Amino acid sequence: MLQTLQISGTAALAPTLVLGVTALLLLLIDSIDPEESSSALLSGVATLGSLVALAAAGAILVATGGEPQSLFQGQLVVDGMSLFFTFIFTSVTTLVTLASYDYLKEFRYKAEFYTLVMLAATGMTLMASSNSMATAFVSLELASLPSYALVAFLKNNRGSVEAGLKYFLIGALSSAVFVYGISLVYGVTGSLQFDAIASELGNTGEGLVGVLGVGILMIIGGFAFKTASVPFHWWAPEAYEGAPAPVSAFLSSASKAAGFVIAFRVFTVAFPQSTVGVDWVLAFQVLALVTMTLGNFAAATQENVKRMMAYSSIGHAGYVLIALGALTGSANQAFVLGAGMIHLVVYGFMNTGAFLFIALAEYWGVGRTFEDYNGLAKQAPVACVAMTVFLFSLAGLPIGGGFLSKFFLIAAAVEAATIGTYVLAFALVINSALSLFYYSRVVKAMWIEDPVGDFEVGGYPTGLYAAIIVAAVATFLLLPALGLFTNVAVDAAASMIQ
Amino acid sequence: MAGAFDFAPAIALLPFGSFLVALFLGQYMPKRGALAGIIATVGSLLLSAWVALTVAGGETYNEPVYTFVAMGENPIQFGLLLDQLSALMLVIVSLIAVLVHVFSLGYMNDEGETGLPRYYGELGLFTASMLAFVMSSNLLMAFMFFELVGLCSYLLIGFWFRRDGPPSAAKKAFLVTRFGDYFFLIGVVAVFATFGTAQFAGEESFPHLAELALSGEGQVTTMFGLGAEAWFTVVGLLILGGVMGKSAQFPFHTWLPDAMEGPTPVSALIHAATMVAAGVYLVARIYGFYALLPTALAVIALVGGFTALFAATMGVVKREIKQVLAYSTISQYGYIMLALGGGGYVAGVFHLTTHAVFKALLFLGAGSVIIAMHHNENMWDMGGLKDKMPVTYYAFLSGSLALAGIVPFSGFWSKDEVLYETLVHGIGTDGGLGVVLLLAYAMGLIAVFFTGFYTFRMVLLTFHGKPRSDTARNPHGVHWNVKGPLAVLGVLAATVGAINLVPVHALVGSVPEFLHDWLYYGPEMLNGHHYHELITAGEFGGMSAGELPGLGETGTLFASAGISLTVALAGSALAIALYRGDSPVEHTDRLGSAKTVLFNNYYQDEYQVWLAQGLTMNVARAADKFDQGVVDGVVNGVSSVSLFGGSRVRRIQTGIVSNYATLLTLGLVALLVGIGLMGGWF
Amino acid sequence: MVPIEYYMVLSAAVFCIGVFGILTRRNALMFLMSVELMLNAANINLVAFSFQNGNLTGQVFSLFTMALAAAEVAVGIGIILVLYRNFDDVDVTKATTMRW
Repeated sequence: MLQTLQISGTAALAPTLVLGVTALLLLLIDSIDPEESSSALLSGVATLGSLVALAAAGAILVATGGEPQSLFQGQLVVDGMSLFFTFIFTSVTTLVTLASYDYLKEFRYKAEFYTLVMLAATGMTLMASSNSMATAFVSLELASLPSYALVAFLKNNRGSVEAGLKYFLIGALSSAVFVYGISLVYGVTGSLQFDAIASELGNTGEGLVGVLGVGILMIIGGFAFKTASVPFHWWAPEAYEGAPAPVSAFLSSASKAAGFVIAFRVFTVAFPQSTVGVDWVLAFQVLALVTMTLGNFAAATQENVKRMMAYSSIGHAGYVLIALGALTGSANQAFVLGAGMIHLVVYGFMNTGAFLFIALAEYWGVGRTFEDYNGLAKQAPVACVAMTVFLFSLAGLPIGGGFLSKFFLIAAAVEAATIGTYVLAFALVINSALSLFYYSRVVKAMWIEDPVGDFEVGGYPTGLYAAIIVAAVATFLLLPALGLFTNVAVDAAASMIQ
Repeated sequence: MAGAFDFAPAIALLPFGSFLVALFLGQYMPKRGALAGIIATVGSLLLSAWVALTVAGGETYNEPVYTFVAMGENPIQFGLLLDQLSALMLVIVSLIAVLVHVFSLGYMNDEGETGLPRYYGELGLFTASMLAFVMSSNLLMAFMFFELVGLCSYLLIGFWFRRDGPPSAAKKAFLVTRFGDYFFLIGVVAVFATFGTAQFAGEESFPHLAELALSGEGQVTTMFGLGAEAWFTVVGLLILGGVMGKSAQFPFHTWLPDAMEGPTPVSALIHAATMVAAGVYLVARIYGFYALLPTALAVIALVGGFTALFAATMGVVKREIKQVLAYSTISQYGYIMLALGGGGYVAGVFHLTTHAVFKALLFLGAGSVIIAMHHNENMWDMGGLKDKMPVTYYAFLSGSLALAGIVPFSGFWSKDEVLYETLVHGIGTDGGLGVVLLLAYAMGLIAVFFTGFYTFRMVLLTFHGKPRSDTARNPHGVHWNVKGPLAVLGVLAATVGAINLVPVHALVGSVPEFLHDWLYYGPEMLNGHHYHELITAGEFGGMSAGELPGLGETGTLFASAGISLTVALAGSALAIALYRGDSPVEHTDRLGSAKTVLFNNYYQDEYQVWLAQGLTMNVARAADKFDQGVVDGVVNGVSSVSLFGGSRVRRIQTGIVSNYATLLTLGLVALLVGIGLMGGWF
Repeated sequence: MVPIEYYMVLSAAVFCIGVFGILTRRNALMFLMSVELMLNAANINLVAFSFQNGNLTGQVFSLFTMALAAAEVAVGIGIILVLYRNFDDVDVTKATTMRW
């Protein structure tokens, strides 16, 4: 047996602390000379901070072997699950801050941008560690509030402002629903801590199952907002389309993963299917089915690439919801959750990469529709190869990790062996087939069509290119290297479930 | 000492290397990457031959190379399975790949095409994926390379992306085969879920586990409460979905004629050795699984027979030389499926082999003609090319005789064996399976007639008669790099049948049946002998070989050969009768020509002309109409329904945030009410 | 002692009033106020249940909720401000440049 090192107390929260401190540091740097903020310095500090957090998460995971560490009287817990997701958040944050170096060059208020990204990332890592409804809610808001501001960051751009408004309004409504749900669950169980809720569930009176059920469904609503799932997805197409593309990348990858990690924890620790008496599995099955179908069908006919990606992101939320919808009694629960986690890792890279490519196109001033991407491959073959990898991997072709992660999801659903999960597996296959259609439209435009007019790309921005290539290489390498993650994910899920 | 098997991964890695070299360095190389491709594929060919020789020495290989995901007991691995079947296929694929690369020098480089590094890069990747697919040791790995093969064919068919046709043809090929592949994917998952492994070979392979389960010795998990056999049949049919997509079997055949938009050497590669062959190869690879399932076999045979007939009739009315060849490919792969479904494992592999040779030959020959005709593919503008391009003519003729199934060219031997196996199993097997096999046999036999007809119509229109256009009078010359591959394949097409001279073996026992022996003595549970036992075992397929009444085994063999040869000759003769002479006439004006024919050969030809006029043409037209209207219509319909659905769905997103809040609330309430009612909260 | 059901009815009523306000009001500020009503409905629940269950967790949590509501309003007002600058209105239904 490997001797596991004890990393106790706040040291276990190192990634979160590093991200938070980086945010403050950025503000400090900016306050020294607010007029002359250096893009390289700010972006460098932010990227470095998230890399350190990434390394810290990895180190803690290796040192403790994913052994759960309870902090602040069980309000927070650092375990394999939280570290695994911290890895996703910090990777995405690194890519986004790196890419923003070029994207933000012309803007003022750079420091605020990076600070907000860092704060949101801090919130997400806290969400991954939350072990009570109180910390869940606070960290969820900590992740959300900076996101609202980030989406509306382009103050003079009507699209950005409109996106921010819609995101904020739906977000405020959803968090009100979420808190109300929490209050009902608290009323039934008298506790906010997840494990305490689970142990109280057995003692609830007969008449209270309805109250508990309404509470649980409202809590699902709060998570559905964060993960952009039906029926709380309304903000997503506009927010992703209107926001600056790096922010879209950040929200659609990291923020979505954050919603899922807290949902995974709440529904396996606080409301285990065996004792809760409320059929939330069915609710997730319905949501998964509707979400993936709606996302993909709406994406199929878009003219705007960014909006297409936004809908595709909804579709992928539907795929990951299978991980919750397949948590039936007969399922191999650790494998089911592990499949969802794996898909989120791969998705973190491929989806971030795709949005960063859109950021690159925005940087060049290429238009937003499919036609505007015509012939782009002649000007920027490397970036277009990367984008092709992202898109085909998103569609589930064996050119990137997306193939295997979808395969795991299907396998998990089939293994759960109920009618509902078969339907989900089948729907995933059909939707993937449809998704290939609209993803390949972009590929076709880039590689096959002729450019509409004379167009020269304006330079090859270092930061954006670096981020895109790193994401592409990671997406590609995740195909052979997914085995590393699978074991970690399944172990983490298994240790959380019991 | 390191043996052939240690170098086997290089068979696929070499073309992959040429892909990288051609793509990134091709611009700076003298032949734009062609040389890299040729060197790599020659290397693969040599290594494949070495592997084949080692296999011939009685060794086989089945080892994991790389473990993807070591999850529990069923790791997901990349592995190599080198046995008689895969060694044979490796040699075929790499041989055709070499010839196609050489031919491309003439077809692409000499014609001054642009984008050649991309072309050779994609060609290399295509070859590499196919070779890796052939060597796969498990179903998941096979699926991944199966997909890559599809992706490469998409890129290559769409190579001339500036024209109108190729991009849409490429998309169609991709989407139609992907549609089949999604069934295949479910099949792969189902295999994993059922058997916990997807290995092809060994004690822990899924065909073996299925065999144990069906004979009551093992336990597997089945789904939907189906019995083991019914569930296995479902799984088998799911995998068959991918096969039918890739091998262009009805109703997934629509992509293949359109795929003619790609460069002709690519068509040769797709049709002879890679994309289309991948499907039937997969069936042969897991034949130990299908052999257990009579229903699946019946479906395979029926689909194969029907496709053979259906496609052959459509080949009759096409005007472009490559279109004729395209339908002929569909039809010939129908025969291979027919053989596999009819219990003729060796016959199927045999026909796969001979077809690879002669179809590559015909496509390259057509490519040569197309170069000569300045890329005009209409046969009605050709004619009289026989004297101007003798090498092409004689090579093409050799391929055509093989395709039509005229003795002693290779196609005769293999097609005859396909039909013979189906016939005897059809006669000997009781019940529905026997009837289905006989029906499929009948369709296959009728298709022989049409095959002979369209083949010789094509030959006569292209090479005989008087030139019908200026380009045909002054064709463009072709170089050694075109003639060389044609000559090699021309000789092979005539002689490759010698590897399995079944009728001759029956007469003179000393003439060996190489292929039969080769495939019968493979590794345990992967050889033809084992498959034969499975098919004939009462608890599985329950087939048995019968014979025609009063003829005995040998008599049946010769009767079957005689029938199919007669039918092939009849079809060929009809074509020759109708299209001979200096100026053959188009079928729309056939009435005039038919009168002359009637006048000259009144008594003999009356029946034939009625067949040609009244029946053949109408059947062919109807089939064509059905293809264009109904099948294409369904494909297009599905996509337009999805798109229409998509454009409706997106309208919900009105852009007004108050509506979002309303819908959000309604959605939540619906969820609350739905789950609440089911949970009995109220 | 007031039975717990009364508090629940009250909070449900406040919550529904909030939802009604969100669905019918087009003014962004009214939207915000309605959200505040919904949050306060949750607070009523929390405090009442806290009293009922005999622990203070709920009351403390309601303080968190208030603080977060304030933070949310701060961000919200900022967004409404830029909304007004760009669209010359605080009508939430006016901002519809992106749809479908």
